[in-house]
Amino acid sequence: MLECREITKTYGRKTAVDHVSLQIQPGRIYAMLGPNGSGKTTLMKMAVGLVKPTSGGFYYNGRPVGQNSRREIAYMSTEPYFYPWMTVGDVGKYYRDFFEDFSQEKYESLLKRMELTPDLKAKALSSGMMAKLKIAVTMARNARVYLLDEPLNGIDLLARDDIIASVIEAAEQDVSLVISSHLVDELERVADEAIFMKESHLVDVCGVEELRMTQGKSVVDRYREIYGHGGEQKWEN
Amino acid sequence: MGKLMKYEFRKTMFSKAVLLVITALVEIFYLFGVFLKWEKGLGIGVLGLVLCASVGIFYIGIESLLIWHRDLNTKQSYMLFLTPRNSFQILGAKVLENGISLFLAGVFFALLAAADWTIGMIYIGGLEEFVDLLQNFAASINVNLEIPVREILVTFFACIASWLLMVVTGYFAILLSASVLAGKKFSGFVSFVLYMILMWVDGMFLDLVPALKDFTIQYVLIILAALLLSAVYYFVSGWIMEKKLSV
Repeated sequence: MLECREITKTYGRKTAVDHVSLQIQPGRIYAMLGPNGSGKTTLMKMAVGLVKPTSGGFYYNGRPVGQNSRREIAYMSTEPYFYPWMTVGDVGKYYRDFFEDFSQEKYESLLKRMELTPDLKAKALSSGMMAKLKIAVTMARNARVYLLDEPLNGIDLLARDDIIASVIEAAEQDVSLVISSHLVDELERVADEAIFMKESHLVDVCGVEELRMTQGKSVVDRYREIYGHGGEQKWEN
Repeated sequence: MGKLMKYEFRKTMFSKAVLLVITALVEIFYLFGVFLKWEKGLGIGVLGLVLCASVGIFYIGIESLLIWHRDLNTKQSYMLFLTPRNSFQILGAKVLENGISLFLAGVFFALLAAADWTIGMIYIGGLEEFVDLLQNFAASINVNLEIPVREILVTFFACIASWLLMVVTGYFAILLSASVLAGKKFSGFVSFVLYMILMWVDGMFLDLVPALKDFTIQYVLIILAALLLSAVYYFVSGWIMEKKLSV
């Protein structure tokens, strides 16, 4: 299980994440929601050790995240990060060299689905194709936890379906997925839980089905309540 | 760590290939100079090879720092820090790759010099005439070629150790700047200033080695002092990367 306890990250005077505690359970798909600057990306980066917290910590199976947890946690950044000399094929080789859970077969099949060929230069890809490459190489790992930061950004409607399909395929019984996005309705189709972040705070974590059953609301409704004009201010207390 | 080193080598492969091509071109000048007893060609070849060796080895060290700066201050850093490797392995791979590259470049140029010297001896018709030919050219540009070979060999390893210290100091300066400034505009300039200050501190530390009559012992002491300081920089850098660095 992945969890953070009272985690805070500040950059000078700016607080990116403020005393957030959260548990990511196995076998669940989480939609991490919130506007730009709400702290979603920083929280994900702290989960893989790219960003060090100012206080508090992230733990994987009870131990602080680090070298060992990166063997089982796959992270997809929203920004492109491959070396400029790499081709699509080289990206796969790199992951195969470093991650024991990487499946070349799965990678090739995902590339085919995403209409990418191994000889394409990574730096020459359009933003949409780059997003597809990032998702293909991340989902080709048989990880225990997937953290996908804005995987649907800059991707056309049809390609989104491919991405959502590959996410659903990865969702096994003991696998957790956390997906951040602005496209709330797209995520509502696949998510079990919704995490709402606002101005560096964790506002709410609720079950999508439970929300529907007990309050008769969709995630979109809840999103409007929290972020719309006059949205609830519960998180301020 | 082998895989990390493989990719570190891949990052510098292009510049090493360029160095090899330039070296091959000046070697052609040298060989034409020898075979055709063409004094000017021989001179260009010798000067070119000396420049390739010195500038090439210098650049291999500098490039390693430039790559480290890019690795820490751009999103490219994720390629390193998302892998299941710890900071000591990441830094160690860089240090080793750079050390091995420097050593191999040194050996390559030393072997090339030895081969060229031998070829010169065989084809020009004896050592005396070959040295005369070189000295004639040297005299025309006022360079003294009477360099004792023994001293070159003794200082070779001291140079490697000192250079390693310079590179590790550079890694540390860039890391400090990246940890505090986190990729901001002037991080490169701050790294450079910090590097100059740290190099001055390194110099003061190495000056603590007493001047001895025995040249060899003194150089061994300098090598040990440089290795000790390099180890300190390495472990402090690894700790900062592990505990404090956000990329």
